Amino acid sequence: MIAGAAGLGLIGGLGGTTLLRAAWAERARSSRWRVPVGWLVLTAAIVSDAVWVGPVKGLALGVAMVGIGALLVVAKSRVRRVARAGRETGVAPEPLDGPSRGAWRGWVKALLAGPLGMTAAMALAFCYATWAPGDPRTRLIVAGLLVPFFWALAMTWTLADHRLLRSVGVLVSTTIAGFALAMLKGLA
Amino acid sequence: MTISTATVRWRGWPLSPATVRAVLGGHGILGLAFAAVIYLVCLSGTLAVFARDLEHWEQPRAPSVAAIGAEQLDRAIAAARRTTPVGTTLYVTLPTLAEPGAALVAYGPKLEREWAVDANGALVRKATPFTDFLLALHIALHLPRTWGEFLVGLAGVALLSSLVSGILAHPRIFKDAFHLRLGGSRRLQEADLHNRLGIWALPFHVVIALTGALLGLSTLIVGVLAMLLYRGDTAKVYAMFVEPPPPVNAEAMPLPSLARLLAEAQQRAPGAELHQLTIERAGRADARVTITSTRLRLLVPQDTTIFDASGRVVKDQHPRDLVAGTKILGGVGQLHFGWYGGSPVRLAYGMLGVALCVLTSSGVTIWLARRRDKGRAVPLWERLWAGVAWGQPLALMLAAVTGIALRGAGAVLWVWLVASLLLVAGAAALRRVAGGTIGRWLRIGLAVGAVSLASLHLAMVSADAAAGLIDAILLAGGVWLAVPRRKRSAP
Repeated sequence: MIAGAAGLGLIGGLGGTTLLRAAWAERARSSRWRVPVGWLVLTAAIVSDAVWVGPVKGLALGVAMVGIGALLVVAKSRVRRVARAGRETGVAPEPLDGPSRGAWRGWVKALLAGPLGMTAAMALAFCYATWAPGDPRTRLIVAGLLVPFFWALAMTWTLADHRLLRSVGVLVSTTIAGFALAMLKGLA
Repeated sequence: MTISTATVRWRGWPLSPATVRAVLGGHGILGLAFAAVIYLVCLSGTLAVFARDLEHWEQPRAPSVAAIGAEQLDRAIAAARRTTPVGTTLYVTLPTLAEPGAALVAYGPKLEREWAVDANGALVRKATPFTDFLLALHIALHLPRTWGEFLVGLAGVALLSSLVSGILAHPRIFKDAFHLRLGGSRRLQEADLHNRLGIWALPFHVVIALTGALLGLSTLIVGVLAMLLYRGDTAKVYAMFVEPPPPVNAEAMPLPSLARLLAEAQQRAPGAELHQLTIERAGRADARVTITSTRLRLLVPQDTTIFDASGRVVKDQHPRDLVAGTKILGGVGQLHFGWYGGSPVRLAYGMLGVALCVLTSSGVTIWLARRRDKGRAVPLWERLWAGVAWGQPLALMLAAVTGIALRGAGAVLWVWLVASLLLVAGAAALRRVAGGTIGRWLRIGLAVGAVSLASLHLAMVSADAAAGLIDAILLAGGVWLAVPRRKRSAP
């Protein structure tokens, strides 16, 4: 059963991404139908796996197999070019280097993305755990998943934002407000 | 030529070019800061997916029964009790259709011992030092448990953040969705590889990073929550999810007949397959036996029947009785490790795990190539990264060789640690050698290691077909790694 579902996910991934590739490569109005159909095939493959082997097992397996199918299509569409130094096409964005404005900024950013980001994420998640409706065990586990998620968002934002005071202000106030609200309500 | 992006606005992308560049800057900083840890965790995690296969490879003669009777289980449990202190909890995993083999784990405050159970109920001590080392490396990096788990959890958060920022900083996500341009500029080649792997495997990688981060940070999260709400009493948080122990009664009392308990549990969970027995305080009046059963469409066992020392049912719960939180908690580990669906799932997880390792490594390579393109090459970092990216698989290979040759868990850890340090220090010290050359040397070393490991295993361990398949993969991998590569791209 699992092997069949894996095969279905793989075929769906291959089929859906092949349609998408053809649509995006041609860019012609006549092939636009392939875009929604491609996405539909990918979604259908994942949903079919979920129906076939169970909601969580099937979703996880479907997502993995569709990803593998898509990567196989990418591998098949690879182009090999002659090695030549300095040649580069494409308008890929360049990271913002900027002149260094002191090591202290780096340390403050590390503090913001690390401990402060973590406490702000915990404060928000515990706020959810205490105030959201539903069974406390479910709230607690969802809050547990929210901690790394919010922390990752805080990392992304603080490392990209050059206004340190704004980051400090938002993270500190979120931490204080979140923990205070969580303590106020408690985990009933 | 790279067109100045400050003047280009990507059509349909919600972020401004300046914001995209700032996010990409943060993506780079985060990736570089955590690259080695993320790479090590991903590499060990990819191998940990195959833990059952590796255990069998290390000890192919360990019994693997398709079914086991209650009488044989009684015998196995009695044998385990004779060799463990009173009060040790015993976990018996029963063979299922998907995963054959019965195992018994004895777990106490100062004890953890594992056996395979044969068809007669006799115990065969588990001797899989490399797999044990690998799992401990992935879970806590062999650091003190609390710190190690936190570091692994932090790496999970950093990976999750990198995935988010990688997408936000990718305005050409659809335009380039299928571009894989090999050759030409090294940086463009690595960027194509990095972006394609990052996008098409994104949902899977997000699930792995999120569940891994939760597993790693759970002790910290519970600790802070307990401080906030229960004056630091973490037991109150755990009590929400685990059954409280029965009142203490140390009087001697024999365990009830397992045959009757198994039949009762089976009858209460029609359609489910018996999966595990947990026996606490065996031989005492306050003993407890918990039997869990698994269903084909569920990720983890959700049918539980609990018996007291007299064999009376004290709790009986089934999937409909569980709240979503309890189900999620049970499934996080399975979802993370891919141990829920047999070989097809393990293979899929393995392939996407390798993709995650390549994603991490190519991120660093892009940064190194970009520095070189701009005339600000960092040869030390090029050598160091070669020492990590190619050195870690080699160090793990040497650890496996030690596990097969010496059968000692301590030796495996030390060999990996010393090899890791020597490879990185050696790469740093070879100032006149380019990072790419060091990478090629280590790749050859890895090829030799793979062939040696397979040969040693075939010589020392009498392998069956399943273990032989791993040897064949090692031999084929070794040959593939040894084949010289044509120059694919400009430096």
